[in-house]
Amino acid sequence: MPKPEFLTAQFITSVLTITIVMQILLAMAGLSIYFERKISAWMQDRYGPNRTGFDLGLPVLKSLFRGFGFWGLGQSLADGIKMLLKEDFTPRNADKALFMLAPALAVIPALLGFAIIPWGGTLAFPELTIPVLNWTIEAAEVTVAGANISIGIVYLLAVGAISIYAVALGSWASNNKYSFLGGMRAASQMLSYEIPMGLSILCVLLITGTLLPMAMVDHQSQHGWLIFSQPLACLIFGICVLAECNRAPFDNAECEAELVGGYHTEYSSMRFGLFFLAEYTHMATGAAIFAVMFLGGWHLSPFPGVFEIPGLRAEDTGILAALLKFGVLFGKVVLLIWLMMLIRWTLPRLRFDQVMQVGWQAVIPASMLLVLMNATIVYLGRTSLVEQLIANVLLGAAMFATVRMLPKSTKNKRIRLAGSRFSPLEGEVAVAGPQIDLAREDRPVEGSARLGAH
Amino acid sequence: MINASALFGSLLANVEVSSYLPILLLLTIAIGFAVTNLLASQLLGPKRKGNVKQSTYESGMNPVGTARKRFNVRFYLIAMVFLVFDIEIIFLYPWAVTFPSLDHEVSNSGIWLGRIVFFILTTVVAYVYGYRKGVFKFD
Repeated sequence: MPKPEFLTAQFITSVLTITIVMQILLAMAGLSIYFERKISAWMQDRYGPNRTGFDLGLPVLKSLFRGFGFWGLGQSLADGIKMLLKEDFTPRNADKALFMLAPALAVIPALLGFAIIPWGGTLAFPELTIPVLNWTIEAAEVTVAGANISIGIVYLLAVGAISIYAVALGSWASNNKYSFLGGMRAASQMLSYEIPMGLSILCVLLITGTLLPMAMVDHQSQHGWLIFSQPLACLIFGICVLAECNRAPFDNAECEAELVGGYHTEYSSMRFGLFFLAEYTHMATGAAIFAVMFLGGWHLSPFPGVFEIPGLRAEDTGILAALLKFGVLFGKVVLLIWLMMLIRWTLPRLRFDQVMQVGWQAVIPASMLLVLMNATIVYLGRTSLVEQLIANVLLGAAMFATVRMLPKSTKNKRIRLAGSRFSPLEGEVAVAGPQIDLAREDRPVEGSARLGAH
Repeated sequence: MINASALFGSLLANVEVSSYLPILLLLTIAIGFAVTNLLASQLLGPKRKGNVKQSTYESGMNPVGTARKRFNVRFYLIAMVFLVFDIEIIFLYPWAVTFPSLDHEVSNSGIWLGRIVFFILTTVVAYVYGYRKGVFKFD
């Protein structure tokens, strides 16, 4: 039997990376739910989950562990088992097929996203002979990534955009008003923040001149991390990652105070669990791509020549070096997820209109200006770290000054519902004072309004 | 008559195409994971039905009407403006990858910068139009 063409060193490495990283990501999703609860408890002066161990309620294991609680680490496992054993409930009026499809559509792109992230850098794959079949795999320099594809970061954008379908379909299929509103909000928010995300990635592409995450990391090892040379793009990308993952302060999709559970109000059991899994996996992928683009991937030296560690250089291609690089990148991912959790429990949630206004009136124009600025400095050839930093600072100061000079509309900022009794239309007479009829109907009483208009 | 296996084989011989094979594998794993989880919870969980239980959740009140109602036109406007911007970004990607490697002396990279700035300006026109129309005002 001849050796199939596709069985190369890169393919074997990719398959191994996919299987290993997938297990780690799934385990990490469970663990990060536990740590999210622990961190929120720590920030709010509570204990958090601290009882559930691994005895699974069995007396044998209980006596074996002698009541040792494992600091509540069994909580995630217990949650997972509980979700599988709960009733998979479909409301009567729901669209059954779409209701079933939505959680799957949420989790599939979330699991696909991490494929392009170069976890371990370059690996010198040794020549290998498979004994029985007598196939020889040639030695080659391979990338320790799920897939070494030439479109690189575009793949991530393409796959990430699919998860909007999950939210929109799930909310529509539930036939529930809360779900519907939550889904509309989430879909429009994710659409809006995809634009600045694409534009801030464009800045990185302009500076590094490549689509491959691998080459971005190499560029940063030679020219310093991009978080120092492109702080504005880094900030915008960070905001967009939070908004794309529907994380606080952008979690309007599941705004408990007004929308119950948002788009997953009607979901139960593992379907609900898959939505949550998708959210936490998205966080991990977003953190990883942030680390690769702005934090130098697996490098620990922020500037070339500073704090360089043997094993983390580009020319180290052994298996131990790959594992070490994986560890460093993974540590950065954990650090960024921890930062996301701190942000969630520190900042209050933005109101939906504020989210959209910040997106369309601030972040998108700023990111477009940033792209133009980067195009200009690339054209002028002024792309050293200091020059980029100066350009960023100048642009930031210019934007700040412009915003301060813009005219401010102070007209009835509190409630701006055109045509209501608080801000009447042109020609209408506002009715002052509390009147029960008005409060109930939100409509001016006969004779007092609509004198000239319409 | 096209030989399907030969076509598939020649596709896989292409380095570009065969580099996508791990993604196909990953897609299979992800679909399998989702389907297994959904089926498992369907099979393992209890099944109890009831008239009230199966009704739509509206914070304990009897549900009123349907959720398939008209919604705010702003969401539709946002979707339209998003299309303009997204297509612009898609066209900017190939430019952004090739532009830094253009040689100043040989190629006329200034013209390429000018063209792209003009292209971005067309979107700025759309943005200003939307802004004046009040698309980005959420009150």
